[in-house]
Parts: sequence; structure tokens; C-alpha cells
Amino acid sequence: MTGSRRLPLLLLPAGIFVLAVYVWPTLLLLRNAFNEVGPTGAMVEAWSLKTATETFADGFTIELTLNSLQLSLSATAIALALSYPLSLFLFRTDSRFRGLLAVIAILPMLISGVVRVFGWLAILGDRGLVNTLLQSLGLISAPIKLVFNWTGVTIGLAESIMPYMILALLAGFGQLDRTLEEASRSLGASPLRTFWRVTLPLSLPAIVLAAGLGFVLSMSAYITPKLLGGGRVFVLATEIFEQATTNTNWPVAAVLAIYTLGLLLLLLVVSNLLARGLKR
Amino acid sequence: MSYLELAGLQKRYGGSVAVDDVSLSVEKGESVALLGPSGCGKTTTLRMLAGLIQPDRGTIRVDDVEITRLAAHKRNMGYVFQSYALFPHLTVSRNVAFGLEERGIGKAEIARQVEEGLALVRLDGLGGRRPRELSGGQQQRVALARALVIHPSVLLLDESLSNLDAKLRDTMRHEIRSIQRSLGITTLFVTHDQVEALTMCDRIAVMNRGRIAQIGTAEDIYERPATRFVAEFVGRANALPATRDTEGKVVLWGAAHPVAAPPQGAFDLFVRPQRMRIVSASEPTGGETVRVTGRVLRSVFVGDHVEVLVEGAGGQLAVEMPSGTTAPTEGAEVAVIWQAKDSLPFACEAA
Ligand SMILES: Nc1ncnc2c1ncn2[C@@H]1O[C@H](COP(=O)(O)OP(=O)(O)OP(=O)(O)O)[C@@H](O)[C@H]1O
Ligand SMILES: [Mg+2]
Repeated sequence: MTGSRRLPLLLLPAGIFVLAVYVWPTLLLLRNAFNEVGPTGAMVEAWSLKTATETFADGFTIELTLNSLQLSLSATAIALALSYPLSLFLFRTDSRFRGLLAVIAILPMLISGVVRVFGWLAILGDRGLVNTLLQSLGLISAPIKLVFNWTGVTIGLAESIMPYMILALLAGFGQLDRTLEEASRSLGASPLRTFWRVTLPLSLPAIVLAAGLGFVLSMSAYITPKLLGGGRVFVLATEIFEQATTNTNWPVAAVLAIYTLGLLLLLLVVSNLLARGLKR
Repeated sequence: MSYLELAGLQKRYGGSVAVDDVSLSVEKGESVALLGPSGCGKTTTLRMLAGLIQPDRGTIRVDDVEITRLAAHKRNMGYVFQSYALFPHLTVSRNVAFGLEERGIGKAEIARQVEEGLALVRLDGLGGRRPRELSGGQQQRVALARALVIHPSVLLLDESLSNLDAKLRDTMRHEIRSIQRSLGITTLFVTHDQVEALTMCDRIAVMNRGRIAQIGTAEDIYERPATRFVAEFVGRANALPATRDTEGKVVLWGAAHPVAAPPQGAFDLFVRPQRMRIVSASEPTGGETVRVTGRVLRSVFVGDHVEVLVEGAGGQLAVEMPSGTTAPTEGAEVAVIWQAKDSLPFACEAA
């Protein structure tokens, strides 16, 4: 009784915080989206859809959207392919070091995005670890371009979302029970068949959850595409920043921001529905 | 050579020994219970049999073929897990069909056998449900059907009835027993419930600390326990501290008895409460009868019998009288008698 009556009170600080730093700015953003830009480039207060229609009529917006989607898709796919086996191992190991291993796996989360990018530059740059190694082995004569292009951004993004996906996978593996895999083997299914028939289907909700999260994080990532893209990779997030700062074109930035937000919400809803449907 | 042969099985986990030395021979079609206290190594033994863990030592042979190192999925053992382990993402039918599908049997044949399997455990018509839409007892039967349809060479049941209520458990016991008998399936049945072991199995292997303490029919184990542990663990027993006189006869509660005492060391006399009778203190007794006298502390009606607690010179003992007989009143002076052959002396465990 008292618990449920006190609950709203407990939510108050968080509620105020969210209201102040999230809801209010979002409303401002929404307001800005209806403003117009005058011929001088200055913002003109208005209630019109002119900025929105112009932005969506622009082919560049479509291109940005496709870029964002494609980049997020490949980053998520790579991150999933790496973090799924890793999480499965972490989930099941009896090792004493399990806790430590899990912490190590999600450690990159604690490192600033900028620092991480410089790490990647040191590894993937023209004189970085990979190219030096390949050249000294005589496998290549000239360095291959691994940064300041799509490849670099994809690698960097995949790495940055992995810790989150590992956490989501570990949390989602609830239904996975080793006894079920033992039952499968005792019924004559080889380890591979057991994975295919029991492990994979039962971890599908976790996969959908993690993939949804990774995708959303990739879509909204700014630092990695900006810095590892070297000005050659254009996605929604970089464009919004560009419009808001370099161009000081607030209305367009606002329209693009709200458009991106809508896309993300849609994705979250779809992945949630999918995950819930799978659990049933 | 018997159908199933376990020889010198051992399994260690780090420094501790889960199964120390288990050897067991089971005939084809026979049902053997592994009975023992918690942690004595029953599940570990079963898991080694199923190939889910590897023994550190010893061999397993089925039908004269050694399978000690064979992968679990090639063993054809039907394992019914304590937690049922039904696949939550598959319907009841698909659960039962699982093993058959892995064997590459045709669709129509699988459908027929699944139907048959579900009928066997009396679950016809529930094939379309998901496991969590079933009661505990129904889930249990699905697990049983799933293990049975693959025609296992050995059926392994791990405390498979412990999650059920008393009545359902009783029904399931008889169902499993009759299925096992009619299909002639060699069965190992793990339990720590004696009644289960007694009603479900041809023979009982009593386990203690990773070893088999005694193996035999229910009667063997109950009437002629080989060790003190077996006497204590199976059925109820009064453990009466006793001494020996100069002739080597047992002295109990200050009176000599016509029972030979072990040659040395402290020992207790084990007597089943059902084998004891209460007579009036004045009644004389014959030669092969042990007799002690005491005072009735209390009588408790327990449904199918009356338990009478008697206190005498050397302590207390419990007597089970069939209900319906009039129990002696509290405080009455009585004699407790039993046949000398029902006294089992066992040495006290070294402290
Ligand atoms: N994976 C494991 N790692 C370490 N010790 C284990 C492991 N599995 C079992 N043991 C130990 O081995 C011993 C035997 O375990 P087992 O599960 O075979 O007991 P059990 O006879 O089935 O008991 P219960 O009736 O409680 O199920 C126990 O002391 C247990 O702690
Ligand atoms: Mg057990």
C-alpha cells in the first residue's frame, strides 16, 4: 500500500530531470522545425511547413537516410556476429573469472568516444598497426585505406556498440537453460543441431533486442562517423550537427532531428514487437 | 554379462569426489532404483551414463558395447530430467517428436509415434499446447513420452516425481512402472524417496558418499541391511545402545538377550518399530524373544498406525502398532517384545 503510494514521489526527481533536459528541449526543437529561413540565412519566426517540405524534397535527405541505415545495418551485423558468441560464452562459463571477463567485455563503454577513435586511428591508419603488419609481411605494397572512409566508420561503430549489445544479450538470455541443451543432446541431436534447434531459437528474443539497441545507437552516433569518416562520410547525425553549427540553420537541423527521432522510435517499436512476438 | 554394466565409475570435481566408486549390473528390462541422501552422487552417476559428463575412471557398457567415451547424442538413452527440461518454444507434439526428428524418420511415421507416445502417458489431444500451458504432472508425462518414443536402450529418471503432489506422484509411479514393465525398458530411477524406490523397482541400490552401500531387492535391503547406514536410511529403526556380557550375548536395558553381540567395539541394536509388540508387563515370553520393560511416555495416532513411545532403563524406543488396536494408556508399565532375529547389531561409527 504505502509502497505504491510513495512510488510517484520517488519518481519525482527523475521526472523533473527528464522534463528539464529532455522534454523541454524536444519541444523547443519541435517549435524550431516550423520556423523558416530567410534569404539572408537568418531564421524567421513562423508556423509553416516550408522548411520541412523543402528538406524532404531534397534528394540529399534521402541519401543521408540510406547512408545512415546502411551504415547502422552493417555495424550492427558485425557487432552481433562478434558479441553473440562472446555473450553465449560469458553466460555459460563456470570460470571463476566470469565476472572479470564480463567487465572486460563492456569496459570500452567507459572510454570516451573521442579517445576510442584515436585508438582506432592508431590501429587502422596508413601507418597504423594493421598496415605496418601487412606491409612487413609483404602481403601488400601500399597501405590500404582503412580510415577516413566507410570501412573505418563501420569498424569503429561496430566496436562502440558491442558493449551495449553484450549487455543486452546477457540480459536477454534468461530463457536459455543448459538443461534444455542437455535434453536435446540426450535425444540424439549433435551439438551443432542442438545449437540450431534449441540455443538459437531460445536466444532469438535477446538477439532482436540487442540488434535493435545496436542499430539505434549506430543511427544516432555522431563522433565516430565524424572523426573516423574524415569528412567523407555523411549520415543524418553529422548533417544535423553541420546544419546546427556551421550553417546555423536551426530550422533544417530541427526538421532532420525530429525526422531521425521518428525513425528511431519506429525502429524501437518494431524491434520490441518482434522480441515480444518471439518470446510467445 | 548383464545388459548394463557400470564398473568402477568415478567423478571428481576439483578436490571433492562426487562419485567415488560405483559398479552396478542391470539386466535387460530390469528397473533399478538409485536411492540415497542428497549429494551422494545419484545425479552425477546418471549424467555419466547419459554422456553429459565424462567419468574420471571406470567404464560403462550397454549390451556388451563400451560407451564410456561415446558422445551423448549417439547413446540412445532416454533421460527424464528432474526439471522436465521441455523445450518452451515447441509444442507438446514437437517436444515428443524431437528425438524422432533427429533420427531422420519420415513425417507420417513420426506423427503416428507421437500420437502413440502421448496416448501412452494419457495426454492425447494436448499435442498442440505449449509446455507452460500444462500442469506439472502433465509436463512430467510429456517429458516421459519424449524419452520413451525414441525406444531408449536405457531409461534414466532423475527424481522425476519430486515436484508433484503426493496423490499425483502415486498415480505417476504406477503409470511409469506399468509402462516400464509392459515395454520391458531397462530403467535406472534416481530418488531419495524410499517408498518410490520400493514401489517402482525390482532392485534398489542404496548409495552413500559416492559409493553403493548395498544392492538388492526391497526385502533384502529392508530386512537384511548390510551396513548401519542402510539400516538407518531405509525405513525407520530404533537404534538402541547395547553392551555385551561375558558370554558374548547382547545386554540391553540391563537384561541379557538371546542375541549374539559383535565381538568388539561399541554397538547399537537396530530394531524396526513395526516388528515390536507391546504386551502387559506380567506376560511371560518364550526363548527366541527379546523382551524389555518400560513405561509408556505417549501414544500418537498417525493414521495408518499408532506410534507408542516407551521409556525404560536404557533410554526410549518407538513401537508402531497397527491402528485399530487399543494403544496402552500413558504411564502404563508395559513390556516390549520382538523376535531375536529382528535385532540387527551394528557397530557405532567411530567418532
Ligand atoms: N558441476 C559440479 N561441480 C562441483 N561439484 C559438483 C558438481 N556436480 C555435483 N557436484 C557435487 O557432487 C556431489 C554429488 O552431486 P549429485 O548431484 O550427484 O548429488 P545427488 O545424489 O543427485 O543429490 P540430490 O539428491 O540432492 O539431487 C555433491 O556433493 C555435489 O556438490
Ligand atoms: Mg540429484
